[in-house]
Amino acid sequence: MSMIRRVPWVIKYRPRRINDVVNQEEAKRKLLAWIKSWPNVKKKAALLWGPPGSGKTSLVEAIAKELKYELIEMNASDFRRASDIERIAITAARRTSIFGARSKIILLDEVDGLQGRADLGGLEAIVKLIEISRHPVIMTANDPWDPKLRPLRNIAEFIEFKKLRESDVVKVLKRICSAENLVCEEDALRFIAQRSEGDLRSAINDLEAIAEGVGKVSLNIAKTILRPRDREHNPFETLRAIFSSKYAWQAKLAASQSQLDYDQLIEWLNENVPYYITDYEELWRAYEALSRASVYRGRIIKSGNWDLLSYVMDLATAGVALSQKVPRYKWARLKFPEKIKRMAETKEVRELREEIAGLIARHIHTSRRLVKSDVLPFLRVIFENNPRYAAKIALGLNMTDKMIQYLAGSKYNEVSKYVKYFSEMTKKTVETKLIQKEPSKKTPKAKKKTKKEPESSLLSYMKK
Amino acid sequence: MSVSEAFAEILWAEKYRPKSLKEIVNQEEIVRRLQRFVEEKNMPHLLFAGPPGTGKTTAALALAHDLYGEDWRRYVLELNASDERGIDVIRTKVKEFARSRVPGIIPFKIILLDEADNMTPDAQQALRRLMEMYVETTRFILVANYPSKIIEPIQSRCAVFRFIPLRREDVISRLKWIANNEKVEYEEEALEVIYELSEGDMRRAINILQAAAALGKVTISTVYKVVGLAHPKEVREMIQLALRGKFIESREKLRKLMIEYGLSGVDVVKQIHREIFSADLKIPEELRVLIADYAGEIQYRLVEGADDEIQLNAFLARLALLGKKFIGA
Repeated sequence: MSMIRRVPWVIKYRPRRINDVVNQEEAKRKLLAWIKSWPNVKKKAALLWGPPGSGKTSLVEAIAKELKYELIEMNASDFRRASDIERIAITAARRTSIFGARSKIILLDEVDGLQGRADLGGLEAIVKLIEISRHPVIMTANDPWDPKLRPLRNIAEFIEFKKLRESDVVKVLKRICSAENLVCEEDALRFIAQRSEGDLRSAINDLEAIAEGVGKVSLNIAKTILRPRDREHNPFETLRAIFSSKYAWQAKLAASQSQLDYDQLIEWLNENVPYYITDYEELWRAYEALSRASVYRGRIIKSGNWDLLSYVMDLATAGVALSQKVPRYKWARLKFPEKIKRMAETKEVRELREEIAGLIARHIHTSRRLVKSDVLPFLRVIFENNPRYAAKIALGLNMTDKMIQYLAGSKYNEVSKYVKYFSEMTKKTVETKLIQKEPSKKTPKAKKKTKKEPESSLLSYMKK
Repeated sequence: MSVSEAFAEILWAEKYRPKSLKEIVNQEEIVRRLQRFVEEKNMPHLLFAGPPGTGKTTAALALAHDLYGEDWRRYVLELNASDERGIDVIRTKVKEFARSRVPGIIPFKIILLDEADNMTPDAQQALRRLMEMYVETTRFILVANYPSKIIEPIQSRCAVFRFIPLRREDVISRLKWIANNEKVEYEEEALEVIYELSEGDMRRAINILQAAAALGKVTISTVYKVVGLAHPKEVREMIQLALRGKFIESREKLRKLMIEYGLSGVDVVKQIHREIFSADLKIPEELRVLIADYAGEIQYRLVEGADDEIQLNAFLARLALLGKKFIGA
């Protein structure tokens, strides 16, 4: 049975029709009225607010499906990238879609997820986007009183979503149980619903975790599997739980209770697998599983097919855990992913390298990628071994001081001395030529002043 | 000529790039056909296909030069598919460029799109529409290593030119000519070695020549020295550490390669591939094949869009396992 394609239940049982969205009648009425009279509305955008899992995004998706809008979705994490906003903004400003005359809804999910100073530009971009958009823009947020969202007050209709009641959640869980042919105890469903505190999404996830591991849902099992959700697990707890999992569902559950999202989780595993697993065969199996997870992740990006996400998670969690023939309860010193740390530290260097690659790519009519792999290595050889010649190239290509520093490394001072010398010589030569052009003037003095080349010991580099 | 000439130098790959079609000594058949376009002052969309360093970009720039004269840069938009961020950026730039005026006698401008085979099929579809939309005022020259990666509808709209690897004597005589021009001392055999190492890629050959010349007389040993310096020694060290079962240390080397040298995952795999078959790496012959097989798999996964470091870690873990089996770490 487990061989059959698995789509996470939260996706599989997403509301398809407006009526499937439970108990948000007032919000439905308001949003439908607003969208139907668009663009003849007081406020061009709408902001749906309410607790997590209350159906905000689901309602928008159902409306789009039922009223045949093309839905363009963007998540908080995308707002950080100016290029993405630009892309969406271009789409938003266009009147008709390339796919015929369907109109669009632009959905910006979790706008309160924008963070502090780093995303300062994000909200501005959203305000601008709403201004130029020729299609309704709908946003979602948890907390409408968040001071960050103040600029939206005047341009967006605020629509409230109520927290779901326990009975609403139970109703949906029951529907899923019968669709999945699951034996479900009413008590168990109530327990799950109560624990979810009105968050339908987390309730469905819990139901799935229980059903998948055991095949039936009883109160007893629910209580053992679902630990009180008083807090999410930190990365260290998550990793320990995964590595000591005996069953696939334990590893998957560990991931679902983690603070880490899937991308972070993969990074953490990538860093820490070798600290936990030292047997060569198991180590390879663990990395092979991670590698396959990362392949699925890449396919999601390329194809836009988010249904593949469940495979990413299967391989990253259960795949890694079960690469061990016997689960280990060993203690290991875990590390923060080096990659994330270094990426931040080396950002400047990477940017500089891109700049150099760009400069040379334009110069020799090729891509930055090819420059980095095929040209920079040879340029480095020149800069580290022949500072005099390197200086000429630096001048010929108009390199900045920083670029020279990057290429020359420890030879920077020597190269830079020659750069100064040659650029002075160039100036002198220009002056000399100008003077020579006017025969009335006396013999050029410039020649006498010509500086001597830097120490001849430097020249020995050429001979090396 | 600029006065600063003597005190400034550029990359020889550019300095000695033929400016006009008649300066291109090889690819005679292609040159002849391109010259016809110049005479007729008209041309279809073109697709230049062939291995790196065989003169595709050179032919395109020379064609533009011969069509428009010294001023050619004004009428050519150069784009590189692997550097532009997606088809939207390309679309915007093409639109902008197509709007501006066309030169007097020649009724079109040229858009040179390099590494076009790096575009996804979807992006190529969009490109196809662009080619149709602006055909009145622009002609596209697409440059690609693998023509089979260009979708059929584009191929059928282009005159396809296949560039073949340069002949040994063509590469060597060009290197000689450059060396003489630069008054560089050289040994004949050293130029042969450069040809071998560059696998018929002219740009690579010239890069090696320029770097070797910077070290002094171009001899076999300076050529090997340059190529050795240019290829980070960490690649071999990384392989050896992994084979000895020192996974964490070899991962350190990998990170150094990617972070300090800025190599992409694919770059690293390619260098690994070169190392595996080098006689300096003393491992059982059968092991070379097994490693190559997995390296190929990893490269494929990388091209599919998987994360660089994770894939290479899987590779290193595999090496550790193989090392234990074959060498007994």
